[in-house]
Amino acid sequence: MSDLLVDLGQNPYIKQAIKQLGLPLPMPEKLRRPRGAWEERPLDGRTVVVFACGQLTLPLAATLAQAGAFAKVVGTSLQAAPFVAPGEAFGRRIVQIEADAEPPADLRADALVFDASSLSMPRELRGLYDAFHPYIGALNRGGRVLVIGRPASASRTAAEAATSAALDGFVRSLAKEVGRKGATAHTVFVEPGAGERLPPLVRFLLSDRSSFLTGQPWTVDARVESTLDVKFVRPLEGKTALVTGAARGIGASIAQALAAEGAKVVCLDRPGDEAPLAQVAQAIGGAAIALDITERDASVKLIDYLDTKCGPLDILIHNAGITRDKTLGRMSASYWDQALAVNLDAVVDLTEALLAHGLSNNARIVCLSSVSGLAGNVGQSNYSASKAGVVGYVKALSQTIAQRGMTINAIAPGFIETRLTAAMPAVTREVARRLSALGQGGLPKDIAELVTFLSSPGASGLTGQCQRACGGMFIGA
Amino acid sequence: MARSTKSPAPPARRRAVIVGGVRTPFVKAFSEFTKMDAIALSVVAVRELLSRFPVPRAELDALVWGGVILPGTSPNVGREIVLDLQLPHSIEAMTVTRACASGLSAITTAAAAIERGDADVVIAGGADSTSNAEIKLPQKWVHALAPLALGGKVKPADYLGVLAQLAPFHDLLPTRPRIAERSTGEVMGEAAEKMARRNEISRLEQDAFALRSHQRAAAAIASGRFDEEVCLVETPEGQRVHADTLVRADSSLEKLARLRPVFAKDGTLTAGNSSPLTDGASAVLLMSEEKARALGFVPRAAFRSWAYCGVDPADQLLMGPAIAMPKALERAGLPLSEMGIVDMHEAFAAQVLSVLKMLGSTAFAQARLGLNHAVGEVDTDRLNVHGGSLALGHPFGGTGARMVTTVVNELYHSDRQFGLLGICAAGGLGAAAVLERIG
Repeated sequence: MSDLLVDLGQNPYIKQAIKQLGLPLPMPEKLRRPRGAWEERPLDGRTVVVFACGQLTLPLAATLAQAGAFAKVVGTSLQAAPFVAPGEAFGRRIVQIEADAEPPADLRADALVFDASSLSMPRELRGLYDAFHPYIGALNRGGRVLVIGRPASASRTAAEAATSAALDGFVRSLAKEVGRKGATAHTVFVEPGAGERLPPLVRFLLSDRSSFLTGQPWTVDARVESTLDVKFVRPLEGKTALVTGAARGIGASIAQALAAEGAKVVCLDRPGDEAPLAQVAQAIGGAAIALDITERDASVKLIDYLDTKCGPLDILIHNAGITRDKTLGRMSASYWDQALAVNLDAVVDLTEALLAHGLSNNARIVCLSSVSGLAGNVGQSNYSASKAGVVGYVKALSQTIAQRGMTINAIAPGFIETRLTAAMPAVTREVARRLSALGQGGLPKDIAELVTFLSSPGASGLTGQCQRACGGMFIGA
Repeated sequence: MARSTKSPAPPARRRAVIVGGVRTPFVKAFSEFTKMDAIALSVVAVRELLSRFPVPRAELDALVWGGVILPGTSPNVGREIVLDLQLPHSIEAMTVTRACASGLSAITTAAAAIERGDADVVIAGGADSTSNAEIKLPQKWVHALAPLALGGKVKPADYLGVLAQLAPFHDLLPTRPRIAERSTGEVMGEAAEKMARRNEISRLEQDAFALRSHQRAAAAIASGRFDEEVCLVETPEGQRVHADTLVRADSSLEKLARLRPVFAKDGTLTAGNSSPLTDGASAVLLMSEEKARALGFVPRAAFRSWAYCGVDPADQLLMGPAIAMPKALERAGLPLSEMGIVDMHEAFAAQVLSVLKMLGSTAFAQARLGLNHAVGEVDTDRLNVHGGSLALGHPFGGTGARMVTTVVNELYHSDRQFGLLGICAAGGLGAAAVLERIG
């Protein structure tokens, strides 16, 4: 459904009038969302200011020029040196700015990227202030802030761990500050030895495909076997994907997005939803299977279907989910059972069965969790239990499947504009939308973009994580 | 890129050779040739080609013609040339269109047909007449009027129907033809302006390059070097045009510096360092080597390789040759240093200089071509030795055969062994070829 405030905010006169009248109305920025499939140059023509003071400039330099961005490198000429050759190769010559110089007066930045991988002492955090303080005002609407550091787990000393953890706090606050401009902020922690897996994530986070994600830490590691042979356009060609709950809403959107990148998508939903399911499958040239995933022999039926129809899966998306809300005292046992059966039992059962037979090596698994699962919510003890369980499952399983080249991640959506949220009481809905850094709800497409990224071969550095797709919702960790 | 397909040496195969070429003078659009459309200009060039290289008519197999602004009512220009010249009806003909690479495309298509054994003797070339670009009625008119034109009896009420279809009454005026990209809406000069900025090509560098093009072309005309490849044209008004009219022997850096930028306020591209709209036609004669010798012609050169490529038109529209030229060199198995002549189509000085910078860049070679080292520098004494499109003009489809003819003759008369061609084209296309001297 449409969001009146976002629509009003697009009209400069109304926006100005509301501002001058001093009305206490938030004016959320309309988020930029790309149409169609992944582009060769998602950052074409964008200006990216890079504070090149760390150890990860090489992957950054190649990524930015190849993605079409113009880099303005703040640092010494030695620090800027890695950016010169890629800039020349892709016709995007760089500009070097001395670190102690004032930012150029006419500078507008689409992204600010800080390489904090060399920081090891809390005192050095002053570098964050020194870098961002003069430049944050130059960040454009819909801009990006990216701080790249080393994870606390890789720290040699407790002081280094403190320095690393501080980055996360800094970025979370910055996300809330820049959110009203429709801008987002992320921290990326890169394990030593995982630098070459950074480019796809940088591309994704700086692009319009991540516009509803903000205030999130991401970890890139080298646990998962990977050839690092990454395609930036149609990354899913030749892949087969299964999406559960694909008949409508977020599931349908995920199926469309995966198909747009070249995947053959098997759309699964429960018996009774055959008509909308077939419509989704037909529109994307995919297959449809009506199956109750809570049935005891669901995995047997599914594997039989895969064996006869399409072969092993490269991508498995556990999207199907239900709510059966009641406060615990009033909740019937069947409500508890139903929610747990679909949201958690089926996820575990299907995954285990497919791991034994039906998933190809280097498979990507993505499970839909929920911000409720992370933060808890009145009347959702069953739902939260199931969705938090998913996160625990993802964390643990990521370890055991890493040597098969597989990744598994969870996504926790916040307020997404779907059939379910459209049915909420108006006041509750309005509050849910506005209590976030970006001041608006997300679209199913936003979840689909993140799912597609995590399903791509380039996402081999990300596993065992739970990413929120919540527009910087104020509740939960 | 960087695919090195090492297949075993192929068996000795038929080779297509170029016997010679002729073109009309190139003149400014809406000047001497205004009353001659692309077909009329082509007829002159082909007639002259056949008079200078008198092939028995029965030996002619085909004609392949390149064009960009094709006449709406007879888009297969090639066939119209055959018919207008009253050549044997058995000469089959086609017209190819590949933007500014159309002329070269026609020639390599002909060479491929000969080498494949489809034909022995083929005329190839191309022409364009910007003076005869058609002004197009918006499709809205066509769709609205179709029922009247194609239906049965027309009643007065039907005219009201047409009016209803045309409402609201906008987008009804014919649009001015522009050289703009359909996908991006960018005018070609704007794209070249962007390339000048991206590759840091200064106004002075561009002007100096344009000046050299004019000086070299003027010298070639003055010395009679073009006499063997340019023919006389008699216009319907009785005017006799025997030399290119766009070349300015008296140009100078000072004069060029006074021109105002045309594509951007603070830009560097001017009418002086951009190629002008031009009318003209050019043709070459290709044969299988055996046939040429059997008929008593001297084969002058053959294609060692050619390559076409496409790049994203939204990025650097005219950088195609920076990809296509290395590709053609790789296919020829020859380094740039072996090329005695390099002939590049000069759409804009900025575009040629940008491509040269790319060829000279190690970073570009590594990231874009998968090569370890830069393709190489092109020194000015082998580049566009008799000027290029900036001075001579650029009748889109006519440029390829002009370049091939000039390079073939240059190889024939000098001791240089190889020539490299590079052409950029609308849509982000690039074309290149390596020519080899025979004998």
